[in-house]
Amino acid sequence: MSRPDAIPASAVRSEANTVKPFNRRHFPLDGWEMTLVVLLVLVLVGFSWAAPGFYDGMPDLLSMAENFLPFGFVALGLSLVIFTGGIDLSVSTTASLTAVVVAQLWHGFGMNIWVAAGIGLLLGALLGAINVLVIIRLKIEPLIATLATSFIYGSIATAVAGNAPPSGFPDAFNALGGGALGILPYQLLLFVPLCLGFWLLVARSAYGRKLVMVGYNREVALYSGIRVERILVVAYVLSGVMAAVAGLVLAAYYSAARPDMGDPLLLATLTMVVLGGVSIFGGEGTMLGVILAVFILGFLRQGMMIAGFSDMVTTMVTGAILITSIAVKNLFNKRGTGLGNQLWALLRRPEATGSEPE
Amino acid sequence: MKFKKNAITLAACLGVAAVTATGALAADQKVDTSKRIKVAMVPKLIGLSVFKANEQGAKKEAKKLNIDFLYTGPVTASAQGQVDVFNSLIARKFDVITTTANNPTELAPALRRAMKKGIKVVSYDSDVAPDARDFFIQNTSYPAFGKALVDSVAKYTGPDAKIAILSSTKDATIQNAWIDALKAYMKTAYPKMEIVTTQYGESSPSKSLTAGLNIIQAHPDVTGIIAPDGAAEVGAAAAVQKLGKTGKIFVTGASDPDSIRQYVKAGIIKASPLWDEVKEGQLVMYVARLAHNNALKPNDHFEAPGLGSFEVKNKVIVFSKPLVFTAENIGKYHF
Repeated sequence: MSRPDAIPASAVRSEANTVKPFNRRHFPLDGWEMTLVVLLVLVLVGFSWAAPGFYDGMPDLLSMAENFLPFGFVALGLSLVIFTGGIDLSVSTTASLTAVVVAQLWHGFGMNIWVAAGIGLLLGALLGAINVLVIIRLKIEPLIATLATSFIYGSIATAVAGNAPPSGFPDAFNALGGGALGILPYQLLLFVPLCLGFWLLVARSAYGRKLVMVGYNREVALYSGIRVERILVVAYVLSGVMAAVAGLVLAAYYSAARPDMGDPLLLATLTMVVLGGVSIFGGEGTMLGVILAVFILGFLRQGMMIAGFSDMVTTMVTGAILITSIAVKNLFNKRGTGLGNQLWALLRRPEATGSEPE
Repeated sequence: MKFKKNAITLAACLGVAAVTATGALAADQKVDTSKRIKVAMVPKLIGLSVFKANEQGAKKEAKKLNIDFLYTGPVTASAQGQVDVFNSLIARKFDVITTTANNPTELAPALRRAMKKGIKVVSYDSDVAPDARDFFIQNTSYPAFGKALVDSVAKYTGPDAKIAILSSTKDATIQNAWIDALKAYMKTAYPKMEIVTTQYGESSPSKSLTAGLNIIQAHPDVTGIIAPDGAAEVGAAAAVQKLGKTGKIFVTGASDPDSIRQYVKAGIIKASPLWDEVKEGQLVMYVARLAHNNALKPNDHFEAPGLGSFEVKNKVIVFSKPLVFTAENIGKYHF
């Protein structure tokens, strides 16, 4: 259960002496991630066997990823925020607003679609920056702050979209959502390097260490001389940018921009991040886990749809997975409050103390 | 209603005549149902009674036409939810997808993908982009429905009434087309009639009720509310009832009989046009079968047994004239 990859080295050393860093470097999977790998294999094999149409050759399986990778982009950015112990509820409307603004720049102002897309990414960064400024400067809880900005961004998106939101983008742009290079969808070609980047950022950079420390114990981080606010700014801005990327990819996929386009993003991405092993209280988790969870939940949803389950059931299952993963994390929480760990300790105590009476 | 009955009797007569007069030819015209096919019906959302009525008819017709029928859709009225469903139907190799679109643009790429894989696409009720479907079944022609809406209140409010419109959303395709049509008809038939305000209830019962209350309170001289949307009509009628304006303000719209029954009985809604959703569902399946058999040209003419004869114009089929529900006939319809 321990995630030495992400928990600050000092914390790891103090709580578990058995961790051998060298072993970890050669074989960087911990218990949770191994579980996720097994789950992913189960999902893929299970549906290929049980749901006719799920596995129809590698190209089809890869192109199925187009249906859920927009969630993946958001999950990458959102996990940074959750690492800090915060939350970004505005990812959905950030994606919608970006899509609508880019579409209007292209349609209404005759701007080149790629230039407009670039502006869209900047807009995502700006919206993320507004979130974090509200959180830091106005000292408002991230939950409330991003809920409020989420309403604001959503309303602006509706206003900008107008009565007839633009659609029918150039084919070159649409390819970003539905095109492929050989058998590799462009979405996947964009997702893989971003995964690598985020993994390096969290697991292998000084920023990543500080990020996790801020989430694990903000006070300690502050007194250790970490510029907590700077860490937060980067996390929220990147979350905004990744939501914007998702907005662009969605717009390309549907060849249309709608002010409610990003709505389904929040529940699914939050579930991906939490299932990936990132603690909702911050300070724990790995990027690799999140990436695995993106594919597990994505293929699970596609598989269930192909097996004939209704949208209602898949949404319900997503909610159930969200609760289960948080519950399991809480049960085995390392911070002394985990019920599972307490039980485990209770079970082991007689063994340890068994010789004492004698 | 009378017209419909006549039309059906006429069609039945024609059918009988055709069978007796030219037996061989009639056999040729009969739709080929030898191969069992898989047809899916994807409404805007599952659980809405008008779409259930479509399903009811479609199920009945599917049995006759050797069709494996599946009714599936998103839980909320979301185009993206519909696309998810389409993707799964494509993977499951369905032969025909029939759908009513939450919006015309977002669905198009997925449906084009389906068409590329040889799946026939038939839209009904709300259309998708024309290049993303093989045929579209329109409920009823826009001008005819606009006329029916205005006539349904004009008879009770008088020709110089002040009218309010309560629609669904600002960018709802059908509602906007109906509103344009009713304005055009109003101008010629009742030039003194005036539309004082247009509000939107977002197809939500609670928002529609609030919007209805706002209209009545802000415009005390309004005597008729035209609410061409299921939730809007119910919301407007509930607002009239709540403020005790029964008999002073008359409501009409486009809603299924089950939802408006109590308001029709209370006299708030005197007449309310729609079409026979059950029969429309039957026609959707019939066209799905024809489309799969490649038996329908973009401009064509066909007979559907028990439903009547239909014209195909540029891939569009108009289903029927409006069917107006009143206190007298509403007891006959259950959907």
